[in-house]
Amino acid sequence: MMGPGVPWYLAVSAMLFSIGVAGVLLRRSPLIVLLSLEIMLNSANLAFVGFSRLFGEMDGQVFALAVMAVAAAEVCVGLGLIVAMARRNLILDVDRLTELRG
Amino acid sequence: MGNVLVWMVWLMAAAACLGTGLRVVTASNPFVSALSLIGNLASLAVLYLLASGEFVAAAQVLVYAGAVMVMFLFVIAYLGGRADAPWAGGTRAIQTASVVTAAALLAVTLVALMLDAGGRLSDEADVDRAFGSPAEMGRLFLTDHLLAFEITSIVLLVAAVGGVVLGMRSEAEALADAQELADAERASS
Amino acid sequence: MVFGSWVCLLAPLAGFLAILAAGSRLTRSQAGIVSTGSVFVGFAGAVVAFVDAWGRDADERGELTTAWTWLKAGEFQVGLELLIDPLSLVMMLVVTGVGGLIVLYSVGYMAGDDEERRYFAYMAFFVFSMLLLVQGGNLLVLLVGWGLVGLASYLLIGFHHERASAVAAAKKAFVVNALGDAIMALGFFLAIAKVGSLDFGVVFEAAESGELSDTVVALVALGLLGGAVAKSAQIPFHTWLPDAMEGPTPVSALIHAATMVTAGVYLICRTHPVFEAAPDVQALAAVLGLITLLVAGVVALVQWDLKRVIAYSTMSQIGYMFVGAGVGAYGFAMFHLVTHAFFKALLFLAAGIVIHHLAGEQDIRRMGGLRRALPTTNLTFLIGTLALVGIPPLAGFWSKDAILASALDEGGALGWILYVGGLLGAFLTGLYSLRLYLRVFHGEPAAEPAQAHGHEAHRGEGPRSMTLPVLVLAAGSVVVGLLNIPGVWHPFEDWLEPVAESLVHPSTGEEWLSSALAVGLGGLGALLAWRAFQAGRELVPDGAVRRTLEHKLWFDELYDTVFSRPAQTVAVALRDRFETPVVQGGLDEVAEGTLRGAAATSSAQSGLLRTYALAITISVSILALVFLVVR
Repeated sequence: MMGPGVPWYLAVSAMLFSIGVAGVLLRRSPLIVLLSLEIMLNSANLAFVGFSRLFGEMDGQVFALAVMAVAAAEVCVGLGLIVAMARRNLILDVDRLTELRG
Repeated sequence: MGNVLVWMVWLMAAAACLGTGLRVVTASNPFVSALSLIGNLASLAVLYLLASGEFVAAAQVLVYAGAVMVMFLFVIAYLGGRADAPWAGGTRAIQTASVVTAAALLAVTLVALMLDAGGRLSDEADVDRAFGSPAEMGRLFLTDHLLAFEITSIVLLVAAVGGVVLGMRSEAEALADAQELADAERASS
Repeated sequence: MVFGSWVCLLAPLAGFLAILAAGSRLTRSQAGIVSTGSVFVGFAGAVVAFVDAWGRDADERGELTTAWTWLKAGEFQVGLELLIDPLSLVMMLVVTGVGGLIVLYSVGYMAGDDEERRYFAYMAFFVFSMLLLVQGGNLLVLLVGWGLVGLASYLLIGFHHERASAVAAAKKAFVVNALGDAIMALGFFLAIAKVGSLDFGVVFEAAESGELSDTVVALVALGLLGGAVAKSAQIPFHTWLPDAMEGPTPVSALIHAATMVTAGVYLICRTHPVFEAAPDVQALAAVLGLITLLVAGVVALVQWDLKRVIAYSTMSQIGYMFVGAGVGAYGFAMFHLVTHAFFKALLFLAAGIVIHHLAGEQDIRRMGGLRRALPTTNLTFLIGTLALVGIPPLAGFWSKDAILASALDEGGALGWILYVGGLLGAFLTGLYSLRLYLRVFHGEPAAEPAQAHGHEAHRGEGPRSMTLPVLVLAAGSVVVGLLNIPGVWHPFEDWLEPVAESLVHPSTGEEWLSSALAVGLGGLGALLAWRAFQAGRELVPDGAVRRTLEHKLWFDELYDTVFSRPAQTVAVALRDRFETPVVQGGLDEVAEGTLRGAAATSSAQSGLLRTYALAITISVSILALVFLVVR
């Protein structure tokens, strides 16, 4: 294979994933949290594609596609939530939205 | 010569990927974050191409960057000022914990990669031209992974319904809106 | 014979179940008819079986019939067996015959009671249990019947459960009986351990053949004796019988005179090989019988309650039966059992008519001169009394004197003591029975008796259902004794010989001597009672002796101090020291701990998305690390 080997792809995937994790844990706006989630999902996709290349089987790519579809669905619902919250004039701050408590 | 070119393209794409990723996470303007994410998706598409995943790359650009991100931008536009995203939240302790955890996760993964780099991860298989093609993808979706295919479609349906439900206005809201509209009509007539 | 016996056993059970199942769909009197009918059907079955057996040769009269194998535990196996032989046939006839008459009597006596159905169901149940006991083909079935009659006794004594005294009496009866049952069960366990079976034949053979050590046989016999003593209300387990008079009078007649309390005698006769192999225990049985005989006799002299006097009389007469069985005169002991069933039931039922007539009054100080109001009852009660005292030619005469003669024949120190004691007992019997009769039926009527609990005043002799059984029993008391006349004919003895061979064979001379002495002493006692009554004084003058007798020789108080109080103290102490703090407290602690733990855990659910996500991420990193290390 020309260019860097599979471990390089995986390394990028790992770094992207931890960036996404940091974003989810540190940001206050639900919108940004969603975006960070997207980054995490994409990093997983990259890992899928890398491994697919390694083994020569296309199953990894198939699942990357499925992940994409699911990510789309999830974004749809997440944004719907955010819009609904905005309409009810709730403050879009993750630290304030704490009713899911025990 | 070809190999060097490939390497350069790869490195540039990887750098763009990580850079935009950081920008997404650190920008205070959500609009900037969204645009950075689009950039991230594009660089990822390049990486997919280099890994012989042509169809996935195309789908990435079309679906993700084209549809999902547009949705994001629409919502950010709708929210206007309310979308402004203050920086970090949580107590000091949680912030440090978060950074540490993310770093730890990264460290573990990199160590794992390096430990095995000389072994199984280097033995790439040989692939022909059909690898990564839509034809092959379609064949797999409709034979080996039919279940995943169907379930995904159901998930999309559920999400669509969920979106509609979340967007519905309550009785009171609908009345208020109708009232507003009527007032506006009267005012302008 | 087998068929008849099964009918006999199952008819009362069917009656009981029918009343139970029909519930309130049966009217109260219908329940009485069902119950009475079922017992009489049982009697018919017993008669059929008897006639069949009679037609056979003497050695073919025993049959063991198995319904199915009931218990199997390794080598040990017990079947649901019935043993039909002369001994059990005698008991079957007595139980269903006398029992049937008493249940018929109850139809009249209990009429108007709110819970008649329950009563009749219990009576049928009792008859069934008693039949199971006497028909039991092995010790286990016998034990089942034993326990069930104890239960029936408890249920019937405490029938008027709204009365605290009745409930207490029922409990007392049950506890003392349970004590006896426990002792008996221990004996059974030993038998299983050493012999490996509870079948009569196997156990008897083992006892007779000498393969068991003397101690073992003695212990098994003691176990049996313990159970018999408790069930038959002999000293020292006698305290429950006088209190059991709290039950309705027919119950006292059936259970505590004619049948259940005689189960102990039946047991000894049935398991006599074991007793014969442990002669000391057999002698002990006779001695206990003697002591009871005398103690009950003297205590009866000072009792004021009509039924209690008769109860002590029962205790005393069963003492005679124990004496008979103790010296090995099984035939005579059973004969006395049969005659006693007749005249004691008669006495109780007649007493019931008196009580009924006086609207529940049972204190003889408030009775008197009833022979004018109740002429028939006067006659029947007199017949019963004379039979009890042993005046010829009434039943008691033949049977009691046979026992005395056997004691005489036994000889030795024991024999003489038993003989003299028995004669003394005859004297006492004369005293207390005539005292009772005269007090109730002669003299001037007392002032109007207080309106006591129970049924409305049924003035007069009572309905036909009550008077008929009394008349039949009176006739029986006259005639039954003639089944065995010493020196002339003894079909009863012969009937039982194959099953329970007598150890003693008093000569005709001995028999007639005993009879003469007994009658003489009995008559003397009667005479003294008459004289005392004429003079208007009591037989036992006031003083320490009288007080002791009134307190039944302080037995109740003794048992209370030695057993009840300590048991209660221990129970209370256990409750306060252990149950409440440790057990209850432990449970409370567990509950509280769970609540506290839950509260603590729920504080982790802060509602902050961030913390949840952080927790997940940390866990993932740890897992990744673990995977890395392990692989």
